[in-house]
Amino acid sequence: MTEQAQVQSFLPLKAQWFHILLSLAGEEQHGYGIMQEVLERTTGKVRLWPATLYGSLKRLIEADLIAESRSRPAPEFDDARRRYYRLTPLGRRVLDAECERLQDLVHAIQAKRAVGPAKRMTP
Amino acid sequence: MNFWHAAYRRLALAFPHEFKLAYGDEMLQTGEDAIDYLARRHGFAGLLRILLDLLLRLPAEYLSEVRGDLRYAIRTLLKSPGYAFVGILSIGLGIGLTTNLYTAAWTLLTRTLSGVTDPNRLVTAEASASFPWIERYRDQKDLFTGVAAVENDVQFNVALSGETAKPERTYGQLVSPDYFTVLGMTPQRGRLLNAGIDRTGGTPAVVISDRYWHSRFNADPAVIGQTIRLNGQTATIVGVTPRKFDGALNPSPAEIFVPTTVPATVAPELAGDVLHNPTAKDFQFLMRLAPGVSIDAAESALDGITRRLDKDDPFAPSQADKAKRVVLLGAGTRVQIPRDVRPKILGFYAAMMAVVVAIACLNLATMALARGAGRRRELAIRLGVGASRFRLIRQMVTEGLLLSLLGGAAGFALAWALESITDHTRLPAGSPLNPDRSIDWHTALFAFALAVVSGIGFSILPALHATKTDVAPALKEGAALQLSGHKRFGLRNLAIGAQVAGSLLLLLVTGFVVLGLMKSNSVQTYFNPKTMAFLFVDPVRDGYTPAQSQAFFERLPDRLRGTPSITTFALAVQPPYLPGDDDDFQLTVDDAHAATPVQKGTLKHTVGAGFFSVLNEPILAGREFDERDQRLDGDPAPAAGAVLPTMPLMLSQKAARALFGSGNAIGRHVHGDRRTWEIVGVVPDIRDASGMTQAIAYVPLTRHDFAQPPSGGIVIVARGHSAEDAIGGVRSAVASIDPNITLFNVQTLSEYLELIRASIRSALRTFGGIGLFGLILSAIGLAGVTGYAVAQRRKEIGIRMALGARKTQVLSLVLREGITLVAVGTVVGFLGAVALAKALTAITTVFSDAFSLGVGDPRLLIGAPVLLAGLALLACYIPARRATSIDPLQALRQD
Repeated sequence: MTEQAQVQSFLPLKAQWFHILLSLAGEEQHGYGIMQEVLERTTGKVRLWPATLYGSLKRLIEADLIAESRSRPAPEFDDARRRYYRLTPLGRRVLDAECERLQDLVHAIQAKRAVGPAKRMTP
Repeated sequence: MNFWHAAYRRLALAFPHEFKLAYGDEMLQTGEDAIDYLARRHGFAGLLRILLDLLLRLPAEYLSEVRGDLRYAIRTLLKSPGYAFVGILSIGLGIGLTTNLYTAAWTLLTRTLSGVTDPNRLVTAEASASFPWIERYRDQKDLFTGVAAVENDVQFNVALSGETAKPERTYGQLVSPDYFTVLGMTPQRGRLLNAGIDRTGGTPAVVISDRYWHSRFNADPAVIGQTIRLNGQTATIVGVTPRKFDGALNPSPAEIFVPTTVPATVAPELAGDVLHNPTAKDFQFLMRLAPGVSIDAAESALDGITRRLDKDDPFAPSQADKAKRVVLLGAGTRVQIPRDVRPKILGFYAAMMAVVVAIACLNLATMALARGAGRRRELAIRLGVGASRFRLIRQMVTEGLLLSLLGGAAGFALAWALESITDHTRLPAGSPLNPDRSIDWHTALFAFALAVVSGIGFSILPALHATKTDVAPALKEGAALQLSGHKRFGLRNLAIGAQVAGSLLLLLVTGFVVLGLMKSNSVQTYFNPKTMAFLFVDPVRDGYTPAQSQAFFERLPDRLRGTPSITTFALAVQPPYLPGDDDDFQLTVDDAHAATPVQKGTLKHTVGAGFFSVLNEPILAGREFDERDQRLDGDPAPAAGAVLPTMPLMLSQKAARALFGSGNAIGRHVHGDRRTWEIVGVVPDIRDASGMTQAIAYVPLTRHDFAQPPSGGIVIVARGHSAEDAIGGVRSAVASIDPNITLFNVQTLSEYLELIRASIRSALRTFGGIGLFGLILSAIGLAGVTGYAVAQRRKEIGIRMALGARKTQVLSLVLREGITLVAVGTVVGFLGAVALAKALTAITTVFSDAFSLGVGDPRLLIGAPVLLAGLALLACYIPARRATSIDPLQALRQD
């Protein structure tokens, strides 16, 4: 499979996968952190429930989109039970491709809107 | 709040072990943090949502593990194709044969009739009854919602309209018009018979079976309203039965259903006013139990009614006789089995199936055990890095399941193949087509369930055994080669011993049946069997009146005698060598001095003048029937009150001995079938085509039989230069009387015997196949396990040889173990088989004939153990031989 085809095979991304990848785009995170980040970013609209979250993490690792990170925060902030995750190069490419796809979608919607209301006004 | 925490914790802990190892702690912590927050923020709904999330993910996680297991199992099997092949073969054979047994017997015994409403409420009685009685039973509205009368296996000469071809002999049922109402059936086309419409005197209306509609009319919808010639008379087809329905109470399919309201010209079975004659017990009855009435309650109520009805019948058992007069059976299945015998027959089949599957499982289990030992290291490593034992067991069971499901698919294909072979086996002409018992989803479901059960069955024990590994020694370098630690009574040895025993048991039990059938498979004739032919004739069903028919048969012997290509001939109802076991002709010795008169149930054969001289059989005492006997009246039901005249009777040696011991039988009198018989002759026991000899009473063919031929017609047994000459001769003789008379079921003796043997051979194939299967499997298993043991002991053997052990010593070292196992297994299997055969013979007569012929056979009793032991030893010897060719240097350098 070519690299492009491999990336495309993940699209469109499942909503919770997309949110997890997006949370990891900036920095490495642990599970609880991802959950909090998503909650804040979506102003409480999207909550990743624990089982869904960890189930998705497991599958993302299996799909090689994310990996467990070796680097850990300073000991005073660390909890030994926590695992930290980071994007893999493949994960980053998939995220980029998905963002691009969503942007295209948004453009398409906006283009349609431009004609939409006008039509509605003619009786 | 504590409740929600506890619930969350419990659910989180139910996740798969590996998932918990990776995410368990975090998930617990995250959840517990979230619960308090959610409760404050969203209340009950939020709490419910978080638990629901766990509940929904739980099966998904397990499923993903199963997928992983399955992928791993496929890889493992692909890596050891030999093991996979033998495994699929073993399980495939096991499931194929079992499924075949299941379709052949089990389905026939347990599957309910198609198209019938609530078939479990249908009952019938073991004994037949007369039509007036059935009407009395019908009056018991509190017991039955409906009672119908049925006469089975009635033959009709049917000529379809628009066809110039000769009429064809067709099997059907003669039924009271409410038959389909009792069955609760809706037609596929047209209408079914109905007591309101199909009254006496109307145009005869008939219903045809779905099968007949397809085979004869090409499923043409225009069939409704078509007229056919039925026994020479006109009748109209009014309907088609539901799909797959071809009659109740009959083991073989009916193609046409004719109401009892038709005149006797259409159905000669109805002649002699049988519908009003209480002594003509020609009918079976089919009843539907009223709601809430149990079969036992109905039985005892009917018994009382029958007892009262019997009062008017001088030939019925006396009122003091306490024996049951009515025994009810369930009628919702194709074959009706007495309620007390049913579990025994089903038990026999279940036991056979269980043994076959168990052997296949044992075979795989021994191989899996050996493999488990080889994977000790792999398993130890996985245990060491944190895999749970349960997980490993599940992994191994998944492998087993995959193997057995593949085997199940192969087995289903095998069963399909066997089924199509059976389907193409023709049954002896004269009996109807093979009943439809084709493979369907029931069978597929059965095979699938069997595969699952056996997959788990054979892999669970080895998995438990293999994962008991002590991690430390298994991980040590070279620890796979422990020199000692050989357990004499290890699980593996036990499994091999059991397998040898089971295979021998199977081989012997099936051998008993096979040998019994084979022995019985020879007919002895005192003439060249290639010179005899049978032709059936039935003028009444060609449209003759009884008087015309009588006249035809009176002229026939002279014409046959005048035909040069016929050397000798006789008429009869049953052709010679016909197998039968329906010994319901009860004869009682007329002896005023005896306190309890001697009684014997015999098989009744109706034969004409010179029957035994055609067969070249000697007459042991007295004489055989001649032309005078053939001119007797023989009416079994004359005017009420009249005493039936005494008739002559011949007995087979077996019957004569049973009734009169070693005394002279000639001139003595016996009672049976409402009249007195005088013994005029004794003839030798003739072995029938299935090899049995029965106690037979030969009654003379009479003018009554000529006027109203029995349902099967009258057979002309003729011999000529060749069978074909004889057939040609009979054809021209009959045509010289009337060219429109149909001759049906025309066969040479050789063809006839061949057909009967074909049905026996199909039984032989099944049973022989099972025995052979056990043999092959146990050989494969032994070879595999011994080969594996040798491979494991390569280093030990290498050391021994380096130290100077000779090849023969190594050989005996390896063989000794195998021989002990085979010997123990053989003894146990032998004793088990003899005990099982004895038990089965005692429990039911169904198998006793075959067993009694087979059990005493020294070829089997000595041959089978020797064969099995020989094969088993060969299976040990081949890998053992390989052990002697081990190069000590190479073996020692390993590891």
